[in-house]
Amino acid sequence: MSAILLIVVPLLAAFISILFKKASPYILLIVSFASVIVLGYIELEVITIGGFASPYGINLVFDQYSLIGLYIVNTLFFLVVAINCVKFKEMSTILLIALAGLNGLLLTGDLFNLFVFIEISGIAAYLITATNKNPLATFNYLVAGTVGSSLYLVGLIILYAMFGTLNMADMANEIAVSGVDASLVAFPFLLMFIGLGVEAKLLPFNSWVKGILASSNKLTGPIIASVYAATIGFVVGRLLTSVFVFSDTLGLVITIILLASIIAGEAMAFSSNKVREILLFSSIAQAGLVVLVFLQGFIGWGVFLVVANAAGKFILFTVTNHASDELGTDEVNDLKGLFVNNKIVGLAFTVASLSAIGLPVFLGFVVKMNILGDLFAEGNLFIPAVILITSVVEGIYFVRLLIKLWYKEHDLPVVQYDFIIKYVVVILAILIMVFGVYTAPIETEANDLDLISFVEGGNL
Amino acid sequence: MLQYVAIVLIMLGLYGLLTQRNIIKIIVSLNILEIGVNLFIVSVGFVDGGLAPIFTSTYNSSVDFSFVDPLPQALVLTAIVIGVGTTALGLALAKNIYQKYGTFEIDEMGEE
Amino acid sequence: MASIELIIVFTALAGVLSYFVGRLNKVAGSVVTILASMFVFVSVAYFGYNNELIHSTEFLPYVTFSVTYLGLFFAILVTFIFAMVSFFNPFFVEKYKYPALYSMLYLLSLAGVLGVFFTNNFMSLFFFFEFVVWTSLFLIPMGRSKRAASSYYAFSTVGSFALLFAIFIMREASGTFNIVSSMASVNGTEAAIVSALLAVAAFAKLGAFPLNVWLPRVLGNSPDAISAVFSGGLEKLGAFVAVLALVKLAPFGYVVDATGLAASQYVIAALGALTIVFGTLMAIRQDDAKKLLAYSSMSNGGYILVALTIASSASVSGGLYHVVAHALASTAAFLAIGAVSRITGTTKMSELGGMIHKMPVTYLVYLIAIISMAGIPPMGGFISKWLIFQAVIDKGMILVAVAVFFGSIGSFLYVFRPLAALFLGQELPQHREVSKEAPFFMLVPMVILSGLIIYTGVLPNFFLGFINNVLTEVGVTPLVIGSYTVTGTNGVLQPALIASVFGVGVLIAFIIFIVLKKSRKVGLMDTYTAGNFIYTEELMHYSLDFYAPLERLYEKYINITKDFYKRLENKVVDLGRLMKYYFFTNKPEIMVLWIIIIMGIILWGDIL
Repeated sequence: MSAILLIVVPLLAAFISILFKKASPYILLIVSFASVIVLGYIELEVITIGGFASPYGINLVFDQYSLIGLYIVNTLFFLVVAINCVKFKEMSTILLIALAGLNGLLLTGDLFNLFVFIEISGIAAYLITATNKNPLATFNYLVAGTVGSSLYLVGLIILYAMFGTLNMADMANEIAVSGVDASLVAFPFLLMFIGLGVEAKLLPFNSWVKGILASSNKLTGPIIASVYAATIGFVVGRLLTSVFVFSDTLGLVITIILLASIIAGEAMAFSSNKVREILLFSSIAQAGLVVLVFLQGFIGWGVFLVVANAAGKFILFTVTNHASDELGTDEVNDLKGLFVNNKIVGLAFTVASLSAIGLPVFLGFVVKMNILGDLFAEGNLFIPAVILITSVVEGIYFVRLLIKLWYKEHDLPVVQYDFIIKYVVVILAILIMVFGVYTAPIETEANDLDLISFVEGGNL
Repeated sequence: MLQYVAIVLIMLGLYGLLTQRNIIKIIVSLNILEIGVNLFIVSVGFVDGGLAPIFTSTYNSSVDFSFVDPLPQALVLTAIVIGVGTTALGLALAKNIYQKYGTFEIDEMGEE
Repeated sequence: MASIELIIVFTALAGVLSYFVGRLNKVAGSVVTILASMFVFVSVAYFGYNNELIHSTEFLPYVTFSVTYLGLFFAILVTFIFAMVSFFNPFFVEKYKYPALYSMLYLLSLAGVLGVFFTNNFMSLFFFFEFVVWTSLFLIPMGRSKRAASSYYAFSTVGSFALLFAIFIMREASGTFNIVSSMASVNGTEAAIVSALLAVAAFAKLGAFPLNVWLPRVLGNSPDAISAVFSGGLEKLGAFVAVLALVKLAPFGYVVDATGLAASQYVIAALGALTIVFGTLMAIRQDDAKKLLAYSSMSNGGYILVALTIASSASVSGGLYHVVAHALASTAAFLAIGAVSRITGTTKMSELGGMIHKMPVTYLVYLIAIISMAGIPPMGGFISKWLIFQAVIDKGMILVAVAVFFGSIGSFLYVFRPLAALFLGQELPQHREVSKEAPFFMLVPMVILSGLIIYTGVLPNFFLGFINNVLTEVGVTPLVIGSYTVTGTNGVLQPALIASVFGVGVLIAFIIFIVLKKSRKVGLMDTYTAGNFIYTEELMHYSLDFYAPLERLYEKYINITKDFYKRLENKVVDLGRLMKYYFFTNKPEIMVLWIIIIMGIILWGDIL
């Protein structure tokens, strides 16, 4: 079996599902479940498409890195679908296309192909967010996404003109061989970084996020904040650690952007009174942290930061968005006491938020400690200080939120969680706890990932 | 020369996005931006006095001449298609927005 | 023989067990906490004292343990406090919103505390530190205030992160997380930074000025049993870190020749003195007995800091002895207040009175506790304060000495107020019918604590002997102690003699009390003022605004720290709002503008 099936089958299923409208949710469910299962049976390899050898043709890179990405993204995607496929039947076709696009993003080893998949998954995302019933926000998302990907394309073409290749691994190689001064490639890289930054929710480029996530529902919240965020995290990770070369000026500018993104994200979450806003601003800060970690070159722990965030945000957004869908409000004060009658869901939510803060026994703690340790080992004192100070702020608003959601005596909000949500969030929460305690497999995996050289893998 | 035109178009597009508050005008600006990008891509492959990159019966390897780079043209085709898709989606959203707010002017819609 | 690892795992598992038992039956779940924490205390104390604790690990990854006298000292003390307080759980658990969770978190935080004291690895130390933070965090809002928990979280994470920063700096210097070797490896500026950061952690955990805001909130508003645990147990984590920061690491800064003290010692002693003064003045103002004890805990934290930073043999042993004395006394006092509030539902002094008639034992427990807190012989608090006074005067820290004495005198002023207001005076009509003595199992821990308070005051040598082991371990000359005497720098103390003189005095007073005529009980209404009959009894309550003239002197300044943090919070909120206003509108042009600005910056940079 070849990894290309992960892209082709959902695309094909998308066309089929147009023909069989009634069966489309089931097609979606089966296909998304199958892509998780199939992952276990595919061998790690680099797939050449259309018989053109690697630097000339498009190739898909199915290595350890993309395997983890595919596992996490496909699993979370399947869980989102399992929760929502009945309610959002008309979205089935689009979700299938989104799945194809996301898998493509994770697999592709070609920079232009990446652009195509960004647009495919982007267009799917615009359509999915149309279910928010907030067309203006979706329109903003569309404008931002299009501008971003256009800039990415311009940057890419400049690089193509300079080095004559579009293959990621080959590009990295060419840049290294040609010995070009890093400041010469700074501009195209900046353009590409901005393009990805729009999707990755980095601060000045993310004005769309609030409109989308603050009015998100049970489908869009988890899928944008968790599945899409994880995918784009993996893509940024691959490009930053393997392809991009940063000059000092550019590195400084980007580090400042990222630190500003983290600080502003936490401050904005701190000043919010709506649950969804708190979560979305917190995820902006987390996105900044993810990119920062990759920028420092920590592949292994960066990957697990993405994974921890994705799992956590999935739980948080599913729980709150279900409640706000039912109640029609997401003011913290209206949701007070939400968990008094929903203890199981509440526990999962608590686990996810404690993990996001980085408290021990949860996955977030392991990841955060290792990242901080690595940063210190590089002699970097400023970035850890910023991370620690912001996580105090983060902790305060999460703790406040948790206490408000757990403690109230009278007039409790009435929200019923169906059993599937309960199962899904509880299983994820248990996984977060298990890997927070049993850290050995994560650590070996992270160390393995650090050793992977994408350049070698891509050119095989 | 073509590059400058393309860059000017990109700048025009960005200027339009920066200044326009009308949904349709924003979509038009996006299109201008995309056309600029597409032109820029094509211009990269241009070789002065180059031939179309097709092996024909008249092709003679002994004569020294150069082909135009075919890859940007392939890329530009894809980019155009994607651009059209986005524009269509944008217009569909514009319709939705008009139905909801009764106007195309963002300023008249009010903050959330 | 007992393995530390097994004890910790056992405690954690017992916590989980207590949750499930607690789901079936609330009280049964809390009984599990008693059994488990008693077991933990007995095994830690017995095996620890006989040097039979095994520190090898077999199950837990990355965690390594070692038994030090310092860790053992704190571990025995804190497990004892947990075990004593746990007797209160069954009687309070009905009132809590999540009783099963309460039992579980109670034991989990105990497990975390044990981990902190026994690990020899800084990373594990931080792990357990944070573990204690979040497990104890969710115990707080089961009481009266929901805000207390977030401010507790804020301050203790500031502390923990300072600790973490210090840990990583030490790791860079030594390449290891081992506590002993990494602390030994830092020197010069690094050592100064590390010791300052550790001091921040200690300040945050002890609730010392200026990181004091959380302490009164938490102690004043937690469930009654949890207030006792915080004051007697969890707050002592700060003292533990303070020993690491102040005693084990050398002080830094300009050294004053005459006294041999470095600048850092003066700064910390000054902050400790401020803590004492601030805590005392605030305690004087309180109407709520728990808040009052909370501020008293804060001022006692100041004593510990002052004592530890001087780092002479008298001061460190005084500081550590104060840790014991204060833990015992404040736990006993909080438990006594808790026993009262269980019946009356309030801890406000102006709403209480005359409880002595129905709760004589509780009264006695509280009396003994506050005598110790005020530092009056023959209770434990006297010994420790005597040692601290000696050290402070000996080092010539006049201003600090003034503050220390002020705190001692101030505590006379405030600790007797709850005594007079809650227990003495007239019985208030609303509590007359319901009040009765606390049940036997609540009296057991209180009486044990009282017994220990007296024991520590009469025969301090057993504990001081143990503390001398700690002193030798951290590199301070041990204190000279005889079998019944304690030798300070300025003289020899004979606590047993003092106690027997005191005992004779009490005996004479008791004989007079027996022999002379009995006093006559009168009702509250049975009184006249200026010839008028009293209709509203509550107006007769004399403890309201008791020290009003004194309070007027400083009431303008009481909120400085609170206001500072409030302003800080507002600044963060403002920043967030500003960012939201700038970046998150529903107009796409903002993003385009920023893109152009950033491209401009990078192009400009390249041209340069």
